[in-house]
Amino acid sequence: MEYRKSTILDLRKSLDNNEITGEQLFEEANKLAHNYQNINSFVTIIDKYNHRKSNSILDNIPYALKDNFSTRGILSTACSNILKDYVPVYDATVYKKLKDSGALLVGKTTLDELAMGGTGTTGNTGIVKNPWDETRAIGGSSAGSASCVALGITPFSIGSDTGDSIRKPAAYGGVVGFKPTYGLISRYGLFAFASSLDHVGCFTRSVLDAAIVTDIIKGYDHHDMTSLKSVGKLQDSINDEVKGRKLFYFKDVCDPNNYDKNDSELIEVLNKFNETIDKVKELGIIVEEVEFPKELLMALYPTYMAISCAEATSNNSNLTGIQFGPRGEGNSIEEIMFDARTKGFSEFIKRRFVLGSYILQKENQEKLFKNAQRVRRLVVDRMVELFKTYDGLIMPTSGTIAPHFEDSSDKLSDKYLILENHLVIGNFGGFPSISIPSGFVNKMPISINITGNQNNDGLVLNIANKIEEKLGYKGIIAGDDNV
Amino acid sequence: MIEKEKLKKYANKLMFDMKDEEYETLQEEFSIILKQMDLIGQIEGIEKVEPMTFPYANNSSLGLDEFDERDVLTVDEVIENAKSTAKDQVKVPKVVD
Repeated sequence: MEYRKSTILDLRKSLDNNEITGEQLFEEANKLAHNYQNINSFVTIIDKYNHRKSNSILDNIPYALKDNFSTRGILSTACSNILKDYVPVYDATVYKKLKDSGALLVGKTTLDELAMGGTGTTGNTGIVKNPWDETRAIGGSSAGSASCVALGITPFSIGSDTGDSIRKPAAYGGVVGFKPTYGLISRYGLFAFASSLDHVGCFTRSVLDAAIVTDIIKGYDHHDMTSLKSVGKLQDSINDEVKGRKLFYFKDVCDPNNYDKNDSELIEVLNKFNETIDKVKELGIIVEEVEFPKELLMALYPTYMAISCAEATSNNSNLTGIQFGPRGEGNSIEEIMFDARTKGFSEFIKRRFVLGSYILQKENQEKLFKNAQRVRRLVVDRMVELFKTYDGLIMPTSGTIAPHFEDSSDKLSDKYLILENHLVIGNFGGFPSISIPSGFVNKMPISINITGNQNNDGLVLNIANKIEEKLGYKGIIAGDDNV
Repeated sequence: MIEKEKLKKYANKLMFDMKDEEYETLQEEFSIILKQMDLIGQIEGIEKVEPMTFPYANNSSLGLDEFDERDVLTVDEVIENAKSTAKDQVKVPKVVD
């Protein structure tokens, strides 16, 4: 058994056959975490084997947790200077469930500051490099969680996803990224970014592993009023028949003829997507192109920006440097807060907060905030209507491979407004959504995404599992000769 | 283009400030996002749509009637991370003269 390439199931088998111990797995993961520090996957590496025995499938399996989850007694910074010394006094429900299942925390992973970014470059501990090519970004915000699975440091990791923060870095890192139905996993102890869009999810090296991890961490939590009662085991859906299932994709968005011919990388990504569709059809799955109102697709990104920035502005108003975080200087409580927040937030975060504040001003609310919420309803209603005919939406996760750092920017742009932002549909509607590796362009991984209707997590995972088998990119790992 | 002073006012309301050049970047961003937001306003019949604030249309499954437990932090836990404390309270400058 080669640890780096192993899935959760591989490791389980080795543990159960007494071929390896939990301590040995932890030591291996810990060694790799230290060896790959140049990638900057971790804010904190845990050096002590700390195990709570259980009968769970995850017992003694190493994993990593994004640093925006509360972990009692362990530094939890969200990669922001305003929380740089914050050590929580309570556990996030996800962390508690994993601890109770006997899983081994290897480290807290790097993210874009307060999870508000998509590049993996804005955290206060520096940029996260893409293990497939260190001159490229891996995307964000769950950058470290993606890179540590891509490197094989851990077979799974936990992230959060408000717009695409699990699924996009999973695509750039050549791993599986899954966010289930909104509320299926408790958000208690996740530092809130935009509460109506925030999801907890996981990175794995196979679709089955994503089902395994989600089965352990899902379920109703009285700490989170938006959490859902758990319905059955997702793993049990994995081997169902897919013949006759129906998927759709957005016609104009996936047509290479609608883009600049000189953008050879984008054209190749789209051509490969169309090749993938042919293979999906060979499974007996019906795939059809669908016209989706262009004005709604064009509105996805501004809608996301308006809602997420407005909610973030409000959610982060508790970061004052009074109860926790570095104390600011000043003669009044206002001056102290002003100084703490001026020094504690990066420029990028401040820009998002100002945008959120502007959107929430009384004079702008109707035109900006309420209209964004109205578009959200139109998009979700249209999707739910389509889900009456189709089992899911299949799209390229991204129109690009992982960008070079110099091309990686979170500044607002209107280039490829739809192709780079359609994943937010999954957050608008709380839909289960998974990205899986689907090949390579210029020696970098590319990916497809499948999104289904609320509470159809098992169906989405089952379809993804069959496509994963068909495509043959399961378990690819950075640094290996699998390009 | 939105004036820099206006942006500074919004930033100060949020209790922070930014550098001059940062406001310039923000001005550029505002012109892009407001242009994009204009597209939203042009969607036919948008004003008649009920705003969506949550992923579910029906919240009845949320178990709101099941709040029968409370987890309360101790005072020691609450002040554990505070930089300045006195006895069992977070210490701040005098707020009332």
